[in-house]
Amino acid sequence: MAVATKPPVPRRRKTARTGDLPRKIGTSSIMWLLAAVYGFPGLWFVLSSFKPAGDLFTYPLTLFPKKWTVSGYTQAWSQFDVARYFVNTLIVAVAATVLTIVASAAAGYALAKYRNWWLKVFAACILATTMLPGETLLPSLFVVVRNIGLYNSLSGVVVPAVITATGTFMFRQFFVTVPNDLLEAARIDGSGEMRTFLRIMLPLARPIILTLAIVSFQWRWNDYLWPLIILNDPRQFTLQIGVASIVGAQNVNWSVLLGASVLSMIPLVAIYLVFQKYVMSADINAGLKD
Amino acid sequence: MTNFAMLRRGGLRWAAAGVVTALALSACSSTSGGSSGDAKSITFWYSTSAQDQGYTDLAKDFEAKEGIKVEIVNVPYDGYQDKLKQAAQANSLPDTASVPSLDTLWVNQLQDLSATANNATNNINKDLLTTQDSKVLAIPSDVTAAGLFINKTLFDKAKVTYPTDPSKTWTWDEFLAAADKVRTATKAKYDLVYDRSAARIRPWIYNHGGKGFQLGADGKYAPADATTVQALADFAKLNNDVIMPKSVWGAGADPNALFKSGQVVAYFSGVWQVADFADGITNFDWASAPTPAQPVHATDINLGGKVVAFNNGSKAAAAKKWVDFIFQRDNYTKLAQTNGYLPIEKGLTLTYPFKKQAALDSFALYVKEMELADPISASGQATGTKLLLAGKSVDDGLIKDEMAKLVNGKQDAQKTADNIVAGLNQQIG
Amino acid sequence: MVDSVRAEPRSIPAGGEPARTASRWRPRRKHNSYWAAPLLMISINLVLFLLFFLWPAVIGLKYSFTSYTGVGPAPWVGTDNYQRLLHDPAFWAALKRTLIYTACVVPLIFVASLGTAYLMVSPYSRGKTVARVIFFLPWLISPIIAGVIWRWIFGENFGLVNFIITELGGKAVDWQTDANLSLIIVIIAATWMNTAFNMLLFIAALKNVPTAYYEAADLDGANAWQKFRRITLPAIAPTSFIVVLLSTLGSMKEYGLVVAVNAGGPGTDNNLIVQYIYTTGFRRNQIGYASAASFVLMLILVIIAVVQLLANRRKGS
Repeated sequence: MAVATKPPVPRRRKTARTGDLPRKIGTSSIMWLLAAVYGFPGLWFVLSSFKPAGDLFTYPLTLFPKKWTVSGYTQAWSQFDVARYFVNTLIVAVAATVLTIVASAAAGYALAKYRNWWLKVFAACILATTMLPGETLLPSLFVVVRNIGLYNSLSGVVVPAVITATGTFMFRQFFVTVPNDLLEAARIDGSGEMRTFLRIMLPLARPIILTLAIVSFQWRWNDYLWPLIILNDPRQFTLQIGVASIVGAQNVNWSVLLGASVLSMIPLVAIYLVFQKYVMSADINAGLKD
Repeated sequence: MTNFAMLRRGGLRWAAAGVVTALALSACSSTSGGSSGDAKSITFWYSTSAQDQGYTDLAKDFEAKEGIKVEIVNVPYDGYQDKLKQAAQANSLPDTASVPSLDTLWVNQLQDLSATANNATNNINKDLLTTQDSKVLAIPSDVTAAGLFINKTLFDKAKVTYPTDPSKTWTWDEFLAAADKVRTATKAKYDLVYDRSAARIRPWIYNHGGKGFQLGADGKYAPADATTVQALADFAKLNNDVIMPKSVWGAGADPNALFKSGQVVAYFSGVWQVADFADGITNFDWASAPTPAQPVHATDINLGGKVVAFNNGSKAAAAKKWVDFIFQRDNYTKLAQTNGYLPIEKGLTLTYPFKKQAALDSFALYVKEMELADPISASGQATGTKLLLAGKSVDDGLIKDEMAKLVNGKQDAQKTADNIVAGLNQQIG
Repeated sequence: MVDSVRAEPRSIPAGGEPARTASRWRPRRKHNSYWAAPLLMISINLVLFLLFFLWPAVIGLKYSFTSYTGVGPAPWVGTDNYQRLLHDPAFWAALKRTLIYTACVVPLIFVASLGTAYLMVSPYSRGKTVARVIFFLPWLISPIIAGVIWRWIFGENFGLVNFIITELGGKAVDWQTDANLSLIIVIIAATWMNTAFNMLLFIAALKNVPTAYYEAADLDGANAWQKFRRITLPAIAPTSFIVVLLSTLGSMKEYGLVVAVNAGGPGTDNNLIVQYIYTTGFRRNQIGYASAASFVLMLILVIIAVVQLLANRRKGS
């Protein structure tokens, strides 16, 4: 996926010349128009979460609450054990993310730098995992997870989710672009293959690691059906299960649902905001400068 | 795992993190069993979106009395059935549960609750039990009934009156005429919203004199009678974006939310909405009104959660004890009051804890309504139970889908009724 | 742990053969020189693949030849399930709807993510950091919540868009009861949600297009569009391919979002294939039939992927 192409590549024009004011205005306004379109649905959702239950569906619709309230939030907070579910979700997301990165980086590197017929077969196998949708695999996957004793444990949520074709191929594409000379030089120095991978190659892949980290974290954070089926003990429930418990068979308490949804999003958004400046903005060629 | 090798070689930070994670995970899985072997604690699964305290209170009393802790698990409604299916496969069914419906997958793992059900002091309505070969498999936690809600503020504003006593109810024609008058006088948007469900269309059919979709003597669904077909056709005509919004039956829009907007004159739903309306409607006054009769006075009487006890080895006895505890007269009274249930036990005097008079009136009206309801009103749930015990299950999503085609003008009422009957018969094989 | 300790010494002699590796790295000849290290590297994924894909897939394949209901015996029925599938109009309708959906959503995602990525690397746009966060947020939202948001905005009776239309004197639009409009809402929501991830891929690719090419084009007096077509698009072709392939497979498998936005409605008009398999198969205890449908879907996805790979290879040569 050409996350990086050939190494010594100068960046595209870094700064514009000063005489480009009309272009600046034009480009910026297009960008901000698009940003408004993308941002509006979320903004409306968050603003609605501050409306009292009785105002959510009153006509005419208003963007801002007529009367601000946090009752949706306080009710959501008391409806399920938000703090505990949050910790569980965090454990699941962090564990799955770390394992995903380890597994994908190693496999991606092997696919990029070694030539064995069985590696090609393996690559096809990894691709095949994207061909059967998780929902249709669910009953038989369940049988397996039960048989190896991971039913009713957080590991049963984490471990099956670790393998990902997207992650493996992100790393493969990256390592393909890292020159083989680097690997050669390491071999001449007598560095073992694992050591070369861990000490030299992996640090180079930092942007990919960070990108996959946020991607994997988001996947696991928003998982619903699989954790619900695997976990029986409410002390292990994840946030999405808590949020879903607000949607009843016959009616939905919208104001509580909105509050709970926004609450469940806050940690994910916060983590993204912390990491976003590293994600894909790191200089992909930083490790090859000298 | 390769990350152990990494640690030895280079000590990369995140290899270490991997180890920590692995340890954390194994710690989690080791504590996750939760089952202490002998029956010091049992599990009770159920699904609610409200903050009903009823079962939690009872569990406390039960623990104080018997020394057995009941662990209550609130499972989200969406996915509850799937979870039970998979749990049955894994031999991990809960000890007790209140389920929306029984599943042929695990119905053979249920304990006999006849001692509790037949206990004369409990005085449980025996018509509503799920019974197989004199074994009682499930006792409903409560009874539900379909019914009509009106936007009282709009009615008062338009100075239109409505009946308050179910014995002097109105016809659908009278109701629709009244709603029309209210809508035009108050500039509301719609006369009526109507829950989209197989159970809620039944009263409409029954009220108009149809029999709906019933099993014939051969155990198959019989073709729908002409009155039923006519009733379906009439119902579809209401979905004209004036009387009723098309989006509810045509596409699954949320009628509850539409009614709460204050722009809809009336809402046909059921007793379970009362608790939600009591808190969730602040911008207008609402009231329950009698279900119209045309000429048949019927509703749809259905069951709330079905309480079951599973046959889980050493926990089986404790599970049965807990179910028995729930239905003991005094305990059940508390439960029904706290959770806002229409009781399954006869002759109880309940005082519901609602502050709103409308909610209290509403419950009183439902109790009367059920006494007056034509016997056909309970036939829907009876058919479902009968099929289930024969090892067949019916997914009534089919009725919604076929009705959507009718409402959206894709097929006529006769074809809709034929498709429903054919589809149901295919499902029960 | 035992495995890795044993495996490592083997990789050292393999790696420590400077005589063969010193001069130049010749991949083809060195065919089997390294096998322990790569085997070790793929070991986690390999084990996971065997456990959590191959094993369940084999179980599922076995089910597809039986009339298994979820518990109890699984009577062998041969290819009955597959034959029934061939004559199941609902299955084909769902498949057709899924193909239409994919054909609409993939180009939209492509244009939206490339467009936003282009703006993100453009030296002319101001406030990129904030804008990038805004573009990214929809991707963080779970499908369930996204469904709620879009149902509200395009609600037929009390939705925001129809409110605005009627306030402006227009006639309310059948966003929910019209099957095609309803599908369009799902397409909009999917584009909205999936832009961010693909935008990331495009940003990285665009940043690596050599400046020298543009400078040369400037000297030739090429305009912006010419530069985009002749330089940018070819340079990012590998990324474009991945975006198209991943989006295609992802859309063909769409489930959570459709269920959340319109539940496959109105009626069953917008049932997508995975939803069809899940609700009519697994929910109604027809595990055998649903498994057969899953494998037919897998076959279709493999064909799509192979066709795209071949098309890409031909274009590349």
